[in-house]
Amino acid sequence: MTIPRLEIRRLTHRLPSGGRLLTILDAIDLSIGAGESVAILGPSGSGKSTLLALMAGLDRPTEGEVLLDGEPIHNLSEDRLAILRRRNVGFVFQNFQLLTNQTARENILLPLELASDEAAGTRADELLDQVGLADRGHHYPVQLSGGEQQRVALARAFATRPRILLADEPTGNLDGATGERVLELLADLQRQEGTTVVLVTHDASVAELTDRAVHLRDGRVERDEVVAGGDRVGYQRQVVAG
Amino acid sequence: MTLGIFLRHLRRESRGSRGRLVFFVACLAAGVASVVAVAGFSEGLDRGIRSEAKTLLAADLAVRGRQPIPVGVEAAIDKIAGAERTGVREMLTLVAAGQAPEEADNQHPSRSLLVELKGIDGRYPFYGELELEPSTDLDVLLNDRSAVVAPEVLTRLGLGVGDEMRIGGESFEIRGVVKREPDRITGAMSLGPRVLVSAAGLDRANLEQLGSRVNYRTLVRLPAERDGDIDTIVAELAGLLETDGRHRIETYTEAQPALRKGLRRVSSYLGLAALLSLLIGGLGVAQTVRAWLAGRMDSIAVLKCLGYRPREILWLYLGQTAVLGSIGSLVGVGLGIGLQMSITRLLAGALPVEHLEMWQPWSWSRGLILGVGVALLASLPPLVAAMRVPPIRVLRRDADPMPPSRLAVSGVGLALLSSLIGLATWQAGSFVVGLLFTGGLIVVAMVLGLAALGLARVATRPRERSRLWLRHGLAALDRPGASTVAGIVALGLGVLALLTMFLVEYGLSAELARDLPKDAPTAFLVDIQKDQWPGVETLLRDEQADQIESVPMVMARITAIDGRQASELRQEIEAEVETRRPGRDNREAWALRREQRLTYLDELPADNQLIAGELWGQPDVAEISVEEEFAGELGVVLGSVVTLDIQGVELDLTVTSLRKVDWGSFGINFFLVVEPGVLDDAPQTRVAAARLPEGREQQVQDRLASNFPNVTMIRTREVLEKVAAMLTQLALGVRLLGGLTVLAGLTILAGAVSAGSIRRGAEVALLKTLGMTRRQVMASFATEYALVGLVAGLIGTVGGAVLAYFVLTQGMDVTWENRPWWLVGSVAATVVLAVSSGLAASVGALRKRPIEVLRSVTG
Ligand SMILES: Nc1ncnc2c1ncn2[C@@H]1O[C@H](COP(=O)(O)OP(=O)(O)O)[C@@H](O)[C@H]1O
Ligand SMILES: [Mg+2]
Repeated sequence: MTIPRLEIRRLTHRLPSGGRLLTILDAIDLSIGAGESVAILGPSGSGKSTLLALMAGLDRPTEGEVLLDGEPIHNLSEDRLAILRRRNVGFVFQNFQLLTNQTARENILLPLELASDEAAGTRADELLDQVGLADRGHHYPVQLSGGEQQRVALARAFATRPRILLADEPTGNLDGATGERVLELLADLQRQEGTTVVLVTHDASVAELTDRAVHLRDGRVERDEVVAGGDRVGYQRQVVAG
Repeated sequence: MTLGIFLRHLRRESRGSRGRLVFFVACLAAGVASVVAVAGFSEGLDRGIRSEAKTLLAADLAVRGRQPIPVGVEAAIDKIAGAERTGVREMLTLVAAGQAPEEADNQHPSRSLLVELKGIDGRYPFYGELELEPSTDLDVLLNDRSAVVAPEVLTRLGLGVGDEMRIGGESFEIRGVVKREPDRITGAMSLGPRVLVSAAGLDRANLEQLGSRVNYRTLVRLPAERDGDIDTIVAELAGLLETDGRHRIETYTEAQPALRKGLRRVSSYLGLAALLSLLIGGLGVAQTVRAWLAGRMDSIAVLKCLGYRPREILWLYLGQTAVLGSIGSLVGVGLGIGLQMSITRLLAGALPVEHLEMWQPWSWSRGLILGVGVALLASLPPLVAAMRVPPIRVLRRDADPMPPSRLAVSGVGLALLSSLIGLATWQAGSFVVGLLFTGGLIVVAMVLGLAALGLARVATRPRERSRLWLRHGLAALDRPGASTVAGIVALGLGVLALLTMFLVEYGLSAELARDLPKDAPTAFLVDIQKDQWPGVETLLRDEQADQIESVPMVMARITAIDGRQASELRQEIEAEVETRRPGRDNREAWALRREQRLTYLDELPADNQLIAGELWGQPDVAEISVEEEFAGELGVVLGSVVTLDIQGVELDLTVTSLRKVDWGSFGINFFLVVEPGVLDDAPQTRVAAARLPEGREQQVQDRLASNFPNVTMIRTREVLEKVAAMLTQLALGVRLLGGLTVLAGLTILAGAVSAGSIRRGAEVALLKTLGMTRRQVMASFATEYALVGLVAGLIGTVGGAVLAYFVLTQGMDVTWENRPWWLVGSVAATVVLAVSSGLAASVGALRKRPIEVLRSVTG
């Protein structure tokens, strides 16, 4: 039996709110294989971002486990998590989150340098070329459009060839056409690098680009469906409520 | 992460916040500049004052006593490489004109004179100027058969240079006139004009055997490079003296009591100034770093997502702080040097600035170390907070900070505490002061923090009916991420420091002015016959003299104490001296042998303090009041009966009070004071002191010489003026340093308040977008800053007043004056400072169109 790239077991997250505990994620089980691309869908407030944060060890779950290649990460120290993220996890955010005081190229260089990549410079230039910004490397984020910024963010996320790439509403701040181009780029890179991608969105059309769609509602997995080549086929797994 | 990458990231990360970083550098530079200028300037002032003070002692230090200086001490002095010493013996004695020893005194009573005789064995003086006529070195004029005398001696004895005079029955040739002597008086009254002889001459006169009270002094000159070790050397020599307790060591700082107090006070003041200017600089840096990091929160979260470890974040920003700290400190040192140079220019006439050394690598490196150290320390707390920025902030901006690691918090706390104590100790030059200072700061900071929390809580109360701007301004105090607490603590501590500086500076310079010997006599008149006094007094008034004081003086000899004969007691004491245990019985044989000068008074002068018994309280007893130290030397206590022989008449007096005398007051004082009425008819003269208008001395002297040839006048103006000038210089220096520190502090505090408000541009833009007018935004911000200023001002002012009170009354022995309006002014000034610098920082954002700000914030 192959070990899934990412496995989530009975993941529960509660937060105090207005004097009582609010359950944001409720005993979620999820298993994502290597190279798979998964969309997490659901209405606003259903807990998608929270789930993503827990997958990356950006936050600590109240209960349950998160395993990356079979290794538990939910109980690692801050330092271990940082080192894990350095090489193995890439991020793309709705509001890009580029370092505003660094150029496009320097933003891409940063994770490479952190991972002590010998060929950081070459890799950064190669990525800039791949995202079509070869001549914009010396520009600062404010000098780039939203779409261009998100392409830099993609390049940065793929730079270290992470085992898993997490994207939270990557097109949320972009207009339709620009968003589509970014998503196509994401899909291209994923195919090239064979990266496992988890993509959070509330837009069902975005999910058409992925192999699988997990629907969240009120902190639970409502539906988990496998999508292939844009056509919905195969099975629909009913999730046990609880 | 390799060092190369680290440095690269450091450089990149510093981009984009350059404006704020310039501010950081400016804050630190102002603090360091004032530290360097204060240090350099105070060192120069200190050196200048000290070098002048040395002239008042004519030496670096002196060992003095009423017994010959122990051989061991002299040997120890000789062992100090490059040191020189000169033995000096002083005594009061009668001298006479003429040559033939067989010519008896009483045949020409007007031709004998009480003088202060000084025998010198070696080079004299080491510092200051001995003005002689003919102008040559003293040892050229003096041998065992010659003397140099004050002009008054010549006038009074009717002699000239080249004539012979008699001292102790031996003949001396007068070879010159002494016009000015650096260490002529030390505050006590003079009883006769000066006669200088060599040590060999003094031995020849054989006065010591005749029972004169001798003051022994060894003047020591230290090589210049040992100047800083003077305290060690004094301690070493004092160790050798311990076993007998009858000698003491004076350093040049003690030459003048008024000056000594002044120097001591000013040096504690300088320590305080250095400490407080550093504190203010630190506050400025802390606030700037806090504001700077607040703007870097998003970046930090991203860095963490990309795999930066918390401690790498710490290093990243600590590295930047160190770089900025070094730049700020370097700039500060440069500024400090510039300041020092301008001070030198400005005050060339008023201060002994020739001692201001421009090349002071030590004070510069001290400034650098302090600057970088303070920058790192001040940024540690906000940096540790930055470590706790949760990476999840990339997804949710209001994410709670991560729980602090207990280790980090206690580590930082410990580092902060010990470094603070260390720096304070270094600056103040005392561990206890450093400890107290740090403790006090923590207490005040805690009070400020609690008050700030209280204010934030009050601000959240519902207040729907109040005006919009007021409501908003109050709410802003409690908004998430508001730096109300930090702002109030920083501002409050700053106000405390500034007010302390201000109050202490004011109190101290006023006290220095009060200490000026304004009322001290500029001349003493001795040997005035009782019936001459009205005439002399008229003459003095005629010459516009004021502060005229005069007392009768009676010469007497002690013949018995409590019925036991003086000769018998003397033998007893002399036998005892051999076996005496140190410090216990300090009876002295000479006290019984010598001729006593006493006076009779109704009331004690102000510089006398009754410490035992009652003054003239027993109508049926003839009473005498004795100076406490002298009482010990005589071996009398309250109730003892002292028998005096006044020119053949014996008189029994009961000791009914003991007095403490401030010998440094420049007043006329006596060991023995007798009840009025008892001595009215005894043979007596009068002694007088007066303050003569400047330049009148010669005229007064001439008129005295022709009308009252037996009266001797001793001038003391020169020394007085020197003391006064030095005190004035000290006061001016204090003013200047205080002004400098307060000015730098105000700049830094204004900067710190603005730093905290700079990143509110987005808020201004939003409020304007939502329809608030600029006036309303201003009013809302003003409300907020006014409240911050009020709370910080109140607590800082109370703290500053308390600190100033203790520093002045306990540390410097300066009287405290209540000035409630000043405190009110301090609170008001704080509010004005907070509101104006807070608004100033928002002016840019208020002027911009909202969209400009909003775009740059979200982009
Ligand atoms: N720190 C927090 N405090 C209180 N509630 C929170 C916090 N973080 C998230 N939530 C709540 O949890 C729920 C899920 O949030 P989130 O994961 O951001 O949803 P989504 O990304 O699906 O829109 C929401 O109702 C949100 O309000
Ligand atoms: Mg979300």
